[in-house]
Amino acid sequence: MSLSKNASADGKTLTIQIKGKFDFNLVQSFRQAYAEVNDQTEKVVVDLRDTDYMDSSALGMLLNMKKTLGDSVGSIQISNCRPQLKKILQISRFDKKFEID
Amino acid sequence: MLEHQHYDVLVANNGLEALELLKQHEVDIVLLDVMMPVMNGFETAPKIKEYAGDVYLPIIFITALEDHASFEKCLRVGGDDFIHKPFDRVILSAKIRAHARTRKLSKEANEQKRQLQYHYNQTEREHEIVEHIFRNALSGQQKFESICDFHLSPASMFNGDMFLMAKSPIGGFYCLLGDFTGHGLAAAVGALPASRIFYTMVQKGMAVSDIATELNSSLYTLLPGHMFCAAAIIEISSSGKNISAWIGGIPDLYLIDGAGSVLKTIESQHMALGILDEDEFERTILHFEVETGTRLVMATDGIIESEGPDGEMFGEHRLIDTLGSKSAISTQEVINCVRSYSEHAEQQDDLSIAIVNCLPAIQENKTKAHYSSIPFDVSVSLDAEQMKSTDPVLEIVNVLSNVEGVDAHRSNIFLLLSEAYNNSLDHGVLGLSSELKNQEDGFLEYYSQRADALSRLTDASIKVSATYCPEKSCIIFEICDSGCGFTPSSGYTPEYSSEEHGRGVQLLSEIADSVSYNPTGNEVTLVYSLL
Repeated sequence: MSLSKNASADGKTLTIQIKGKFDFNLVQSFRQAYAEVNDQTEKVVVDLRDTDYMDSSALGMLLNMKKTLGDSVGSIQISNCRPQLKKILQISRFDKKFEID
Repeated sequence: MLEHQHYDVLVANNGLEALELLKQHEVDIVLLDVMMPVMNGFETAPKIKEYAGDVYLPIIFITALEDHASFEKCLRVGGDDFIHKPFDRVILSAKIRAHARTRKLSKEANEQKRQLQYHYNQTEREHEIVEHIFRNALSGQQKFESICDFHLSPASMFNGDMFLMAKSPIGGFYCLLGDFTGHGLAAAVGALPASRIFYTMVQKGMAVSDIATELNSSLYTLLPGHMFCAAAIIEISSSGKNISAWIGGIPDLYLIDGAGSVLKTIESQHMALGILDEDEFERTILHFEVETGTRLVMATDGIIESEGPDGEMFGEHRLIDTLGSKSAISTQEVINCVRSYSEHAEQQDDLSIAIVNCLPAIQENKTKAHYSSIPFDVSVSLDAEQMKSTDPVLEIVNVLSNVEGVDAHRSNIFLLLSEAYNNSLDHGVLGLSSELKNQEDGFLEYYSQRADALSRLTDASIKVSATYCPEKSCIIFEICDSGCGFTPSSGYTPEYSSEEHGRGVQLLSEIADSVSYNPTGNEVTLVYSLL
């Protein structure tokens, strides 16, 4: 389980990638990751390609991020979800609040 | 006379005998009389030459004939020189020495030619073996005709350019266009390790930046210092709407619409792969959002550097014009344009171009899963110390995943167990209230209170059991804690809730087939169907 973050070459996209399991153990590091959003940042991508597991605490953390960032970024995208995680996001109606790719 | 001069002399009385002697001895020079019984000199000379093959075996005719026609005939049938009878010994030995020198040179040349042929054959054979390996390693890849159209034309037998493509397990399309320094076999060797790394990492669905980093460090280690690989590594998300790209040392990429007009020019961001060591390597990538049906064009420098009749290069503007010359242009049509532009010149470099259509992934039909017929039963009982020091949910999931057919469900099983276990621990054993999560910054506060309460915990237990029922293809989970019971949030709404808690319980009931609590609320039973 780990979290990594990368700004794109043009500085417009911040990607937060989560490996393994996305749960309350990441509550601190996840917060720190999106604290890096600045005026240049247009988009935050939460990349779940390596995420095998998530639970409701992860959903809470995502909502917290949305609340904190508000309109300071153009969009928050949750990308590369595996089918079961996608279903969890859909059950929780996250597709209304986030771009799910 | 010749024996006096230390030549070994063999004497034949006629042409047939001479041919016999040639076969038995290593003869360097033949002195041939025209008039002989059985087979005369004119008949014998061509046979001697035929026998000698590629190596020069001089024939000096010794003749009493003096007419021009005879001289001419001597030379026509294969004679290299002639001398009149009676002959002058000084002239004869001078001629023998001269022809012996020529024969020596011819023998040396022939030996070199033979060696050359040997090495040539060996190289050819090695090339065939390597080509076979390359063909199998690189062209065994899947075709994605609706998504990607590409064209590679190597300048020699081996291609210093490579184009790889593959799909990740979650449906993303990846491709890599690479151009190794130079062309031919030397340029192509790097393609083998690079392709292995690419396919392996795509199979795991890794990010473009990770793939670039891994390729770079592998090529940096493997390739000699003057060799590197310019590359564009692209991932198109399964929706076809997001592109991630790492581009190093490749000419501009273009996003074009269906009609071929350029929407965006994407410039290379980095140095080629294999130049910088791990510390210096830049892994930053570019992101683009695109409309469905947008096309991404990438080409190696062989295209824009192809020279026309006046030595002018094909160049970016001609490439852009070509792309816009018709809608949905194919790579073959682009290559034809480049070829007709540079038809007078020999192809200098490998020509490679790929056009990728940004389209959503087509869902593949899942094969029917097989489930174990053994009724596995896993149960653990945790005391306070174990609750503090372990994170048991993932371990239980890993154990269950080994049951045939269960692995595909591990994300869901994790979710169920995680919700149920954390409910038991947080609310049952630790007695925390979820209300806190609704307050500003409550989330962090909640987890710090949880850590505090957990560290003070002394006497408690949580029992988790999972029973797999083969006949119903379901798993029954029972989670029981030593707490005094909790009441799950009642009356949740399936609509999006602004409350920061209760979501877990909602998820439980959606993912599980059934959720039930015992009357005291310290035990929950979940049934999860694998079908």
